[in-house]
Amino acid sequence: MTDIPRSAPERSAWDVVALLDSIDAALPCGRSVDDLLEQVAEGVPPATDAHQDSCPHCQAALTELSLLWAPVPELARSAVRTPADLAALVMNRIHRLINDVWYTLQLTDLGTVQVAARVVARLARDAARTVPGVRVALGRSTAGRIAEVVERATRRHRHPNAAVGVLGRTAAIDLAIAVEYGQSVHEVAADVQRRVISALQDSIRLNAVSVNVTVDDVLY
Amino acid sequence: MCRAQEGYVDAYEELVRRHGARTYRVALRLLGDHHAAEDVAQEALVTGWRRLASFRGNAQFSTWMYRIVTRLSLSRIQRTRVTESLDLLDAAESSDDSEGPAALAERNLAADAVSDAITQLSPPQRIVVVLHHLEGLSYEEIAHVTGSTIPAVRSHLFRARRTLAVTLGQWRDRD
Repeated sequence: MTDIPRSAPERSAWDVVALLDSIDAALPCGRSVDDLLEQVAEGVPPATDAHQDSCPHCQAALTELSLLWAPVPELARSAVRTPADLAALVMNRIHRLINDVWYTLQLTDLGTVQVAARVVARLARDAARTVPGVRVALGRSTAGRIAEVVERATRRHRHPNAAVGVLGRTAAIDLAIAVEYGQSVHEVAADVQRRVISALQDSIRLNAVSVNVTVDDVLY
Repeated sequence: MCRAQEGYVDAYEELVRRHGARTYRVALRLLGDHHAAEDVAQEALVTGWRRLASFRGNAQFSTWMYRIVTRLSLSRIQRTRVTESLDLLDAAESSDDSEGPAALAERNLAADAVSDAITQLSPPQRIVVVLHHLEGLSYEEIAHVTGSTIPAVRSHLFRARRTLAVTLGQWRDRD
């Protein structure tokens, strides 16, 4: 610092920057430089202050401080170029997050309740197995139209290997079942839907559940 | 907000688009570095999603995001986590580490000088200067964002302005 040449002839008996560097930072007239700086920085129009208006020290300091401070509002006004892909990158990470950790979400007055999608799938499968006439119930992703419906219902936030899509308090479940020979396939399937829906509503408090049943086989 | 809280990604995407620029700008002003700012802005917006459930509907999303990005920027400055502390200005005070002025591209000299000068401020001073003088938040809003008090905000601002003016004065005299 010492090798920097002092700025040529002294402009006045005091230098506002030097004053600011001192502890009390008061002008010869007694006014606080901090207060004047605040005035300048806040862009407050000079108050009706008889002293300030007529005091050469205050006027000189105000002029000097305005010049010093000018780049700050200039920076505030200058536009910042946001990286063009910011939103896309953020949404990519969020989509990955949803696929990694995949939960239902419920907000209550006490806090949040989240249930993992695999729990939803497990409960749905167990409920389906209790329906008379159902021999096997596997939660699995079915291809084609149903998968498409599930995907739409869950806005494509399905786990690749799960047969359930959850979103907030909504779930869409794919179930593949085998029906015992001699049962009405249609009735068994409808029973599975009802049983699964009521089981999920009772235990997880999901408010919208759709159950897509695929009857894959008939067992003797 | 309700729709986003229910987990609808589309609604959140809208918030990201609306608040992304501001989030990045605050990180850039606080950190003075494009790459660090981009990192922190991304992190802040993803954090927003993860904590959406804790977002209070009566607060403004922008205020909430200011808090998240300020906290993450501070973590970056200190290279530690400050998640435990509620008062960000207080937490910032305990840090004497400040990253040196970073390379800034495509700026005019005066704005460049201010950016440099800001990144040389102590972390709490940097936070109040950026939020007040660049983002235009009131003392009350800053106290809210930082979890601090209005008198603390005011006192940091007083010191920050003084330091900033001295640095700008040195910069000017150097030319």
